[in-house]
Amino acid sequence: MDSSRWERVQRLFHEALDLAPGAREEYLGRACEGDAALAAEVWAMIEQDRKAAQLLDRPLEEVAQDLLRAPATPGQIGAYRLERVLGEGGMGTVFLGVRADLGSRAAIKVLRDAWISPARRERFGAEQRTLAGLNHPNIAGLLDADMLPDGTPYFVMEYVDGEHLDAYCNRVDAIRETRLKLFLQVCRAVQFAHQQAVIHRDIKPSNILVTSDGVVKLLDFGIARQLESLDREAEATRTAVRFFTPAYASPEQLRGESLGVATDVYSLGAVLRGLLGDQQAGGDLAVVCQKATHEDAARRYSSVEALARDIDHYLAHKPLEARPDRLGYRAGKFLRRNREPVIAAGLVAMGTIALIAVFLIQLRAERNSALGEAARAQRIQRFMLNLFQGGDREAGPAKDLSVATLVERGVKEAQALHDDPAAQAELYRTLGEIHQKLGNLAQAESLFDSALERHAEPATVLALGLLRVDQAKLAEAERLVRQGLAQARATLPAGHPLIADANDALGKVLEEKGEYGAAIAVLDESARMRGKDETGLANSLYELANVHFYAGHYSQSQALNERVLAIRKRVDGEAHPGVAEVLVNLGAVQQELGHYAEAEQFHRKALAIHQAFYGDQHPVTASGLTMVARALVFEKKTDEARGLLLRAVGIQESVFGKAHPRVASALNELGNVAMARNRYEEARAAFTRMVEIYREVYAGKHYLIGIATSNLGNAYLREGENAKAEKLFREALAMFRETLPGEHLNIAIARIKLGRTLLRQKRYAEAKAETSGGFTILNKQVAPSVTWLQSARADLAEIEQGMRRKDAVH
Amino acid sequence: MGIEISFSADELALPGFAGLAGDRAALDQLFSVTYEELRRLASILKRRDPAASLSPTTLVNEAWIKLARTPAVAQLSDLHFKRIAARAMRQVLIAAARKRNADKRGAGPGMTVVFDESLGGVPSCDEELLALDAALDRLAKMNPRQALMVEGRFFGGLEGAEISELLGISEATMLRDWRAARAWLAQQLAPVNGDGQ
Repeated sequence: MDSSRWERVQRLFHEALDLAPGAREEYLGRACEGDAALAAEVWAMIEQDRKAAQLLDRPLEEVAQDLLRAPATPGQIGAYRLERVLGEGGMGTVFLGVRADLGSRAAIKVLRDAWISPARRERFGAEQRTLAGLNHPNIAGLLDADMLPDGTPYFVMEYVDGEHLDAYCNRVDAIRETRLKLFLQVCRAVQFAHQQAVIHRDIKPSNILVTSDGVVKLLDFGIARQLESLDREAEATRTAVRFFTPAYASPEQLRGESLGVATDVYSLGAVLRGLLGDQQAGGDLAVVCQKATHEDAARRYSSVEALARDIDHYLAHKPLEARPDRLGYRAGKFLRRNREPVIAAGLVAMGTIALIAVFLIQLRAERNSALGEAARAQRIQRFMLNLFQGGDREAGPAKDLSVATLVERGVKEAQALHDDPAAQAELYRTLGEIHQKLGNLAQAESLFDSALERHAEPATVLALGLLRVDQAKLAEAERLVRQGLAQARATLPAGHPLIADANDALGKVLEEKGEYGAAIAVLDESARMRGKDETGLANSLYELANVHFYAGHYSQSQALNERVLAIRKRVDGEAHPGVAEVLVNLGAVQQELGHYAEAEQFHRKALAIHQAFYGDQHPVTASGLTMVARALVFEKKTDEARGLLLRAVGIQESVFGKAHPRVASALNELGNVAMARNRYEEARAAFTRMVEIYREVYAGKHYLIGIATSNLGNAYLREGENAKAEKLFREALAMFRETLPGEHLNIAIARIKLGRTLLRQKRYAEAKAETSGGFTILNKQVAPSVTWLQSARADLAEIEQGMRRKDAVH
Repeated sequence: MGIEISFSADELALPGFAGLAGDRAALDQLFSVTYEELRRLASILKRRDPAASLSPTTLVNEAWIKLARTPAVAQLSDLHFKRIAARAMRQVLIAAARKRNADKRGAGPGMTVVFDESLGGVPSCDEELLALDAALDRLAKMNPRQALMVEGRFFGGLEGAEISELLGISEATMLRDWRAARAWLAQQLAPVNGDGQ
């Protein structure tokens, strides 16, 4: 029929319909004037118009259902006899298959209607390839893949005879610990996938099976995506058709944005929340869920590893308040927490060693100079003797010789070297570095300035730069370190170790700024610059290991520390303190990972070296005892921990006297252990002595007095003595405000604690001001402690609740 | 492999159409989504889930949501997308019907797995659908506007108002055209009298 005839047919059709039914036939006969075919055509249409239930009137879904009927139990695929349908997804159907010859079972996934589009075939193939790369005990793996005779692709997977995670937990009425441990298995599977650069993207309870042995198996990588290909086909990823499950999908997934690790972290958080139900109410676990499912992907756990670690910590009953009050603790700062006590404690020995080293270097450098070796050696000998004997040759090294005294004497001796500005400058720098390590930043700065006045060499510029880090002036630190680096590059021959040292320093500054990526790049470069200098290489790698540690890359940190360990063992021997230092770091990695028994082993090895090197009654040995004790606390071996700490306190007292910061530091550990054992009287005794020592040593004004006071307050807070706790926290806060920058972490922590005492006293408005004030400061930190953020957030929630209840009463 | 989707010269002149028509990957995805939406819809119907109120309208809307960020689709207006989705829906269903028909007649390649145990046993609408497809092609030659109307309404679930907007005609005209097309198509599909002219 052509268009014009169709026009005519339609006109006649409508005109006839406008007439009464009886008049239509007659009208058509007249209008068609002998064109019987035309009349018949229109008439047939009129007949059809009356009829209902035509194909076009049927809803499309009925038609679709007819055509795309659900699969029935089929017969055989390859060696497998198919028993039943296990599941049906958008992509394909999964059958349960049994091998006729072996009787073993497998899950067989067949792509349905492969002919629909190449995109489906491609996606199916991608799933298969992904699965092939995921060989893990908690992932249902790929066994085989092939095609049916008609070209339909299928693959054979490990069959998991199990229950959905949530159903399993509910059926066996699993306790919280069991649920968390199962969840950790899921985390391990997802973490493994991430290590293979695969994002699952559809994690939900029905994709997680638990076998009768309690082993978790993660299923369905149907919409998983290779991270690498995310970059390559960024566009394709964003536009990738989304088949995820909305309840467990992240906001960015719902928005169709590009996806990464954070997406799986979100889904895991949602699964955890569902798994715990009421059991998470109000506690740390609720905060873990919140953090995992934060609306803003950047504020979630940065990795599945980090999420799992918090669960680990929770399971290990790691006390919430155990971390922040440790002396010298700074949020997330490995060096502070683990290395510095060793260095600071060993200063009597190491400081002296450093001084001697300076002079030996000096000696070597001067060997060819006109001054003559003998005169130089004599001068240095005198210096050393004066340093140790205080001018009194008869007495020998004094028992109460403190580092401060040594340094003081050193400065006096150095002042006498005014005829040799280069040597004097170097001495000032070394002494300044010791002051810096002792925390006497002002003295350190003045010594560095003196050194620079006499001899402006790159090493001193770098030292000043690193001092700025301690003073929290990071921009200035970076400027100085870069200046020192440029100076070293300009004045020293290529390949000089100081250039790499300067580069290491830049890495450290960037690390302090929280720019871990940049720090890693710089330190990688340092490592390359080291060439055949193994000792230097070990130092750069040591620093690199630290950055990876802060960045949360524990496996990298561990691997690097192991490399450093191997080099140092070979170069310095098994029993060298430099080896012990790395063992301490390896212990710290294990501690962070929640492997406390392993941490204990590393710290015990380090302790053995230190003990052999320094003797039983040495501060470094005391620090080693403290490290072991910390691991023991987390292993809940608090009695043993207490024993070691008492020994540590004893050593510090005998070396430094009763009123010394080192003793205070050891008492702090002892107090924290007492807290962990709920022995509040013992804790109070330790913290009270700590306050007294600091008051005496620092003449009533130092932030450490604030820390000790705050810890004492904590003991009262735990006992419910809120008024006393409040008074102490206010004192501590006043001390911090007097001695620290306005946005210091300690101020944040003190305010949060003060807020908590006020909350306990139901003084909600006051509590809110303190807690939210502290929270704001905390949020501005480079790497705020999750523990504190969580506890502040939980308190704020409780405060709000209290305020509402109060309002409701009035 | 895969279904081809074709557009008329008029359609290709529409804003955004040429971009999509030339984007093989985007079209593949469109088919993929369409197919899976259809399958979802069918399985819900099978369960007789009273909470499910799926219709071609919701189906096309879902597909739109899923594909809206595809660059090729993003250039299209909502209405033009629905028009293309309706075409895709038609193609997918016709392809399914054709394949089923072929299997039934034993023309398809032998399969070890037979997905449908009731093949041939239960009356199905595959032949009727294939006839509709052919008739729609004939209608398009007689009046492209009416073919588009049927395609959009039946396969794409477009509302009357949407169709009249899409075609730039009044709703009254649209209803008249629809009635005639419906009657004619029904006559084409009628088992005895259809002459297929």
